Amino acid sequence: MSEQQRAGASGDVNLVGLSKSFGSNTVVQPTDLTIPAGSFFAVLGASGCGKTTTLRMIAGLEEPTTGQVLIGGQDVTGLPPYKRPVNTVFQNYALFPHLSVAENVAFGLRRKGRKDVDGPVKEMLELVELGHLGGRKPAQLSGGQQQRVAVARALINHPQVLLLDEPLGALDLKLRRQMQLELKRIQTEVGITFVHVTHDQEEAMTMADTIAVMNGGVVEQLGSPADLYESPRTKFVANFLGQSNLLDTRITGTSGGYLLMDVHGTRMALPVDRTAAQGDQVVMGIRPEKIAIQHASAADSNGNRNRIDGGVIVDSSFIGVSTQYTVRMPWAQEITVFEQNMERDHRLVPGAPVVLHWNPDHGFGLAPEPATASAAVKA
Amino acid sequence: MNALAPTGGGGGGGTDDLKEPPKRGRWVPYALLAPGMIWLVVFFLIPMLVQGGTSLQTGGLEKGYEFTWHFSTYWDALQTYYPQFLRSFGYAAAATVMCLVIGYPLAYAIAFKAGKWRGLWLVLVIAPFFTSFLVRTLAWKTILADNGIVVDVLNTLHFTDVTALLGLTEGDRVLATPLAVICGLTYNFLPFMVLPLYASLERIDPRLHEAANDLYADPKTTFRKVTFPLSLPGVVSGTLLTFIPASGDYVNAAWLGSPDTGMAGNVIQTQFLRVLDYPTAAALSFILMLLIVLMVSAYIRKAGTEELV
Repeated sequence: MSEQQRAGASGDVNLVGLSKSFGSNTVVQPTDLTIPAGSFFAVLGASGCGKTTTLRMIAGLEEPTTGQVLIGGQDVTGLPPYKRPVNTVFQNYALFPHLSVAENVAFGLRRKGRKDVDGPVKEMLELVELGHLGGRKPAQLSGGQQQRVAVARALINHPQVLLLDEPLGALDLKLRRQMQLELKRIQTEVGITFVHVTHDQEEAMTMADTIAVMNGGVVEQLGSPADLYESPRTKFVANFLGQSNLLDTRITGTSGGYLLMDVHGTRMALPVDRTAAQGDQVVMGIRPEKIAIQHASAADSNGNRNRIDGGVIVDSSFIGVSTQYTVRMPWAQEITVFEQNMERDHRLVPGAPVVLHWNPDHGFGLAPEPATASAAVKA
Repeated sequence: MNALAPTGGGGGGGTDDLKEPPKRGRWVPYALLAPGMIWLVVFFLIPMLVQGGTSLQTGGLEKGYEFTWHFSTYWDALQTYYPQFLRSFGYAAAATVMCLVIGYPLAYAIAFKAGKWRGLWLVLVIAPFFTSFLVRTLAWKTILADNGIVVDVLNTLHFTDVTALLGLTEGDRVLATPLAVICGLTYNFLPFMVLPLYASLERIDPRLHEAANDLYADPKTTFRKVTFPLSLPGVVSGTLLTFIPASGDYVNAAWLGSPDTGMAGNVIQTQFLRVLDYPTAAALSFILMLLIVLMVSAYIRKAGTEELV
């Protein structure tokens, strides 16, 4: 109920206990989610995680099994798609092949009974920089142009919410980057709530204010891109957004806001407030770029940093701005390290003994879950 | 074989004018064209020229026929048999409309609503072809028989009163009336309408329906603005595939009609096989062909030739 009361602003989207099952297969587990008006909200997940189904339930193209969809505080669960104040940019665009670009864009306005569509259509085509192509048929446009027509066709109706279903999936990498910035610009310009479904973590991080990471029909974590990256709360999030090294640990005690732990015989620390797990088994995660790497003979005491001795470089690849090392731990696990190319130590070659260390505050603690533990036992 | 192949290529549209790239396998297109070309030349082009010659002959069975450039046979045939031509095109048009009215919802249902039963439905649509055309048409004689269930029901519903007013039936009878012929034509040519309609409906991306729904079009408007326009190629080819053979048909009129419902095909058959007036029969055939070509080209020009299935 409190969800409903909070939903005041016109572009808010509230999902209340929303779920979807196809037969015995539950694609979206009961989900509560609030998408604030005017935000650029990304739903991120691998294919089959339920993100597109969630979007389609907001659009009205899929009927929820349980729960409600509220848009601007109004319950639209029972409304057909053509009565909802939302518009969708479809994957592969779904432009009408028999209509010109201008008529595609005018489609929604005409259905609402608007007669003077020429002005708005022209304006909208200008916004997406296609002003000169109104007379063409969709088949005569390039992928990027079609994509912008799809955006214009949806935006011209001034929906309270714009839904984007993998809108950049069919574009090549360069065009995708360009369209990401373009979409972000348009969103800022029109101020409409954007709900963007994607499997591309970089795309979500570049564009969205808030990201919901979905896995197995459940929103695993919700937060700003930086939040999700710096403090992932599940193994799935830790590995889906960027790369993580995950170390199995055993808790030995606490001291001054830090958990003290034993990692294969080495003592380490982790801030209690960065740990999403309880109990004495915690998986410690550390991003590859937060780890410092030093040749064993050059290593000093490193103060109270977390430190692992006895590593051996098994692979190093030079990527220009950084070098990526794969280091084998004494317990056979391989850890990835990204090192900025500032002062390169030429002794750091495959076979070299190394020491790894990092600031304990950069680690994060996760609960060990056997189901998604594949990355931790990669070894 | 080799002598004929270049003829085929020339007929196919100016291949000879092109600069010949010295590539291997240049003969492949000709070889592929050859069987079809030979078939068409031997069984279509030559008979047609012979037929054209026949239509300009004069004479009789006893004295023999002589080629005399006698063009007035055409004029005489048209003047004598124009009612049959009008009937041919009238019945064919009526049957085409009926096929469209019955076939569109059927094709629509198979394409969008039949789900996993699609294949079965399509087989059922073409199932009548498993039986002979003649047998199926004869069966309609029984179906429409006087005092049969169908006609009784139509009489009780006063349907026959309405069709009688329109001049399609006489009294309480359906058999031996224009309605019976139109029914037969509709039945026999329905698959030719349904299949192209299905093909063009089935090609429509269902996401376009969703997109239309998303852009405030209710189901009716979605059909009017998206589904129907996109199915037009199917409508055009379906109507052509129904109208053209239906206007040349004579079996339905012969079995289900009466002497008053004769179509152009019936006259041609009578002239060739009974009266043995070959020039008139040949001239009638040419007139039918020319009229169909004229009507079809006018129709295609109007409906747009692009994207014909």
